[in-house]
Amino acid sequence: MSARDPSDHAVRRARWRVLALWLVVLAVGTAAMLPFRDRLDKAHVALLLMLVPLGGSAAGGRSVGLGLATASFLVFNWFFLPPYHTLVVADPLDWLVLLAFLTTSAVAAQLLYAAQEEARVARLRTAEVDRLRVVGAEAVTAGRAEDALNTVAEVIRDAAQADSCELLAEGDGGAPHIMAAAGVAAVGPASQHADAEGDIVRPLSVRGRIVGSMRLRSARGLSLDAERSRFVDALSYYAALGIERVRLIAAAERAEALREADELKDALLASVSHDLRTPLTTIKARAHEMRIHGDEQAEVIEQEADRLNRIVIDLLDLSRLKAGVLPTEPDLNAVDELLELVVQRVEGVLGKRTLTVQLSPDGDLLFGRFDLAHSVRILVNLVENAHKYAPADTPIELGARRNGDTIDVTVADRGPGLPDGESERAFEPFNRVPGLPPDVGSAGLGLAIARRLAEAQSASLRYEPRAGGGSVFTYSFAAVEFTPEGD
Amino acid sequence: MSIRTILVVDDEPRIRRVVSDALADGETRTIEAGTGREAIDAVRSERPDLVVLDLGLPDLQGIDVCRTVRGWTDVPILVLSARHSDAEKVLLLDNGADDYVTKPFSTVEFQARVRALLRRAPREEAEGHIVVGDLEIDLVAHTVSVEGTDIHLTPIEWQLLRALATKPDRTLTHRQLFAAAWPGRVHGDAQHYLRVHMTHLRRKLEREPARPRHIVTELGVGYRFVP
Repeated sequence: MSARDPSDHAVRRARWRVLALWLVVLAVGTAAMLPFRDRLDKAHVALLLMLVPLGGSAAGGRSVGLGLATASFLVFNWFFLPPYHTLVVADPLDWLVLLAFLTTSAVAAQLLYAAQEEARVARLRTAEVDRLRVVGAEAVTAGRAEDALNTVAEVIRDAAQADSCELLAEGDGGAPHIMAAAGVAAVGPASQHADAEGDIVRPLSVRGRIVGSMRLRSARGLSLDAERSRFVDALSYYAALGIERVRLIAAAERAEALREADELKDALLASVSHDLRTPLTTIKARAHEMRIHGDEQAEVIEQEADRLNRIVIDLLDLSRLKAGVLPTEPDLNAVDELLELVVQRVEGVLGKRTLTVQLSPDGDLLFGRFDLAHSVRILVNLVENAHKYAPADTPIELGARRNGDTIDVTVADRGPGLPDGESERAFEPFNRVPGLPPDVGSAGLGLAIARRLAEAQSASLRYEPRAGGGSVFTYSFAAVEFTPEGD
Repeated sequence: MSIRTILVVDDEPRIRRVVSDALADGETRTIEAGTGREAIDAVRSERPDLVVLDLGLPDLQGIDVCRTVRGWTDVPILVLSARHSDAEKVLLLDNGADDYVTKPFSTVEFQARVRALLRRAPREEAEGHIVVGDLEIDLVAHTVSVEGTDIHLTPIEWQLLRALATKPDRTLTHRQLFAAAWPGRVHGDAQHYLRVHMTHLRRKLEREPARPRHIVTELGVGYRFVP
């Protein structure tokens, strides 16, 4: 740690005071004993002098204790061991006394220090546990995720002994914003003068993903020893989890709101479709009567009523497809039947245009796994699309063939095809092919619905330009081998 | 020809009006009912020749009306269904209803279905020999020919054709056809077998199977024989 903790300075001054005090005690004690030194036993002197390093290390710690031990040792030797006023020791046995004195003082100082250090660590751990308890309790009981986060910020500020602690979430592509803060009133929000000198800024991550950052600030400057740094790191994980929780709750609320909006839209469309049915039925029937009575124009009314009905059904289905609630029932079906139903539905609208149908190139019966109703819809949309855009005197070709494990059903026309780079956009709702007259489409939903209906049953629908001009749309689904029993 | 009576059941007065108007031909008397109970009472008291029954009545399920009526009469029932009631429609057809039209329907199609139902009764059992265009079916000799050429059918194909041809212009549900071809067997995933056999049968009978002349598919319901 490069920066020194400002509290170190105060500790050192206190230590010097203790040392000075006990040196005075040593001097006074020595002065008091000097007049009687010939009558005093060496052991008594040693025991009395021993009190100085013991008292010093209790009050001032290990270094003060060791210093006082040395001082007492010198005083003992100088004043009380003959010959006096020298460091010479006459009686060899006195060396033993001196050695015992020194060892006892040093060991006593060391033991005291160790005991005090253990007590200090124990107090620290108690405080940590207490902070974790607060964080844990808050995380469980806080009504709002933001409240829990504020508590975490307060606990981190306390643990780091900083003036303020701010927790910032990564913005969605924007600048980080403050999610929670503690003690900001004292120093003002850091975002005003971000990352000032002496701030401690740490990234916050959950499962390897950075979700935000933590900024600690103190007016006195800030330093963390290894232990406190470790604890702050541990706490910052709670901050990261808290930020993630706030984000997830917000996302869940958004998803819920979207789902409700979708349901509302679906209910609205279902209701519109239901309510339109009666007037549409009435309009069609009345228009038919008018035509029977000789009004040629009434046929247009009938056709337009059908078109309106189709648009409403398309909107309703698209909404259900997007919400994933349109049921699909992929089942074993005959390709013959699929193509028959497509022809059944489009022949009325094709007029004089030729529609060629090839059930399979070699006359084989083809069976596949697909939702029959959806598949009819897909191919009807494709044929109608081709009919809208291809010149009236060109044929539309509907064909099926086996292609490995799949069956490809193709709809080919001699229309303009899709412009390069537009082919995927054409499958988006309300996206008409550019450069074509706008009045030929229904609502631009045909291809979008076809693509989604294909995907809903794990089949595929793709576009390719046709050799010689035009479009080929290919609808592919899984082929099924089926041999009927009993024939 | 005597005047016939048709009961129109729909909770929507405007629909009852257009249906009644579509049926008006000088030989038909229409009576109307707005609820299922009124409908049942009217069938009992008026003895109609045909019932046009809307799904989605305010008081009773269509299936209940259908079953109650079938309890004492074979009067033909034509179901008016909406797109969202496809499953209910099949349920009614399986339980005694005779045909269906989906709203918004075309008047031409509706009138065709009504005519087919009204003329069915005398035709159903009469013929041992059916001729439709190039197709000839001899129900007694169990033979089929197309353009004068005899066609070999498997027993199951024969049963299917027979069931359909003896109820011309009427939609038979998958369940009804299955019961005809595999009597006594439970209708499980039998639709698979039915589809495969029907495909084989139609390849044999139809000159252009994608534009069938004799047996057409009714999506989600079954098949219909076109006389």
